[in-house]
Amino acid sequence: MVALTRTLKQAIFYLILLLVLLVTLFPFYWAFVNSIKRPEDTFQPTWIPFLQFTPTLEHWESELAIRETRRSLINSLVIATGAATLALLVGTPAAYGLARFRFRRPNNGFFITWFISQRVIPPVVVAIPFFLIFRTFGMLDQLLSLVLLNATFTLPLVVVIMTQMFHEVPTELEEAAFVDGAGRLQALVRIALPLAAPGLVATWLLCFAFSWNEFLMGLTLATKNAIPMPVYIAGAEHTRGVQFWFVGVRVLITILPPAILAVLAQRYIVRGLTFGAIKG
Amino acid sequence: MRAAEKRVSTAGQAATLAVGRQRARRPTAGMFFLLPAVVWILLFTIFPLIYALYTSLHAYRFGRISGFVGIQNFQRLFQDSNLHSTLIVTLQFVVASVTIEMVLGFALALLVHREFRLRGLVRTAMILPLFATPVAIGYLAITIFYERNGPINMLLYSLFRLDIPWLSHPTWALVSIILVDIWQWTPFVFLISLAALQTLPDELYEAAQIDGAGTFGLFRYITLPLMAPTLWLILLLRLVEAFKVFDIPVSLTLGGPGRATEVFSLFTYRTAMRFFDFGYAAAQGFLLLVIVMTLVTLLFRRIQHLYQEEARW
Repeated sequence: MVALTRTLKQAIFYLILLLVLLVTLFPFYWAFVNSIKRPEDTFQPTWIPFLQFTPTLEHWESELAIRETRRSLINSLVIATGAATLALLVGTPAAYGLARFRFRRPNNGFFITWFISQRVIPPVVVAIPFFLIFRTFGMLDQLLSLVLLNATFTLPLVVVIMTQMFHEVPTELEEAAFVDGAGRLQALVRIALPLAAPGLVATWLLCFAFSWNEFLMGLTLATKNAIPMPVYIAGAEHTRGVQFWFVGVRVLITILPPAILAVLAQRYIVRGLTFGAIKG
Repeated sequence: MRAAEKRVSTAGQAATLAVGRQRARRPTAGMFFLLPAVVWILLFTIFPLIYALYTSLHAYRFGRISGFVGIQNFQRLFQDSNLHSTLIVTLQFVVASVTIEMVLGFALALLVHREFRLRGLVRTAMILPLFATPVAIGYLAITIFYERNGPINMLLYSLFRLDIPWLSHPTWALVSIILVDIWQWTPFVFLISLAALQTLPDELYEAAQIDGAGTFGLFRYITLPLMAPTLWLILLLRLVEAFKVFDIPVSLTLGGPGRATEVFSLFTYRTAMRFFDFGYAAAQGFLLLVIVMTLVTLLFRRIQHLYQEEARW
């Protein structure tokens, strides 16, 4: 009797789990299956390639053959790589400073809170001044503008996460280096950074993912040459209509890079999402 | 040998002392590391905010400043019935999606918080929606909510003979957006809750069990109080993000049908980029900023200590 209720409980547990996984993963599979279906198979409730329908790669080929698609992909790659790298270049020294020095008036806690609070500002509030400012400088529709902005948006994340990372690595080696006459900068580059490397890489990946996914600034600033993937995709429906097979291809090539990178940075994701409040 | 070791250790101590002194005496050296980031934020966030304030005090015509109007743009906020309906749409969206995400995500975390073989898989699967480009998800959702022969309606029809006008009916369109948001963000609540659950001390549970506490008792008197700060934190982060929502409504419904899903950010974006009424759009932006800031101020006290570790200096 007891064993029976336990088996039943187990069964219900796995059933719920299965349902959750199904709902979570369905959209990805839906995009995939549509991307390899012939247009005439689109509305057939068929799910297994080869068995139920003949898959085709023609949509992938024709989508990737479009110049605008390739350009948007490259734009997104440049923006996300540039922004993540720039944010780390500016943010890591700041994090080192906050982890190794004690500031007063304002103190370290204030700086940390100040950096985090930047993320509270709704993007639409700053989108307007950015548009006006970049227009003045003739920097609309340029990759550089989007690199700068995405670096700005991910900078607080870098500062907060890297401060924690530097707090967590032992300081003895750096101290030994000072005895040998190393300066602070050398200690950071030669000793602290290599020790914090896993955190550094994970932070870069998260910044890349966030910058890749950014939409509002891209939409506001890019009109033609600098259009990143999200903006490209948002405009697609209205120019070409909803063709399920192309939707599938476009969605997958947009979604996969950030999602895969985030999975690689798994261990640091909870930190990243809560600005270090929960370690996970 | 001994002497050498001793020398090393005294050298280490001296170094520690020296570093300690450096920490205390020369924060200016630290400023050198901190300054670029501070200047960056001042330049790219604080300056634009000030510029937005300047913008909000002016009238624009054809995208150019046409004159100083003082607080007129802010006065318009109170009379604009379109803005009010946008606020209501946004509030409905925020309350519905955040509530459901909190309940669902936390319940799921409680369920998964145990040893079993597939836990790693569940965790990884939950990361995928969270980092999937929101615009792309909205775009994909057009095909999922497709009214004729889309997968959801096909399922609902075969099960219940239901045919729901997901994207063409005002209420259902809002529901669609809420559903997509729930799909994307429940994992957020789940992942953070799960991480926090795993840090709870086992001893408390063992002690309570010895005292004869039941499952509900454990939850009510141990899990919930210990999880409260984390849950407040998640709620705050979710609320802030939900009020900013933009990507999904743009790609899934474009704010329609009519203006049924025109959330605040989209309304402001259109005021600026379609009607080039930058002054009024900036004023709207500040209203959104005030709403979000109020939430943060109200809730921040409850979670402040979670950031205490970083603020320990």
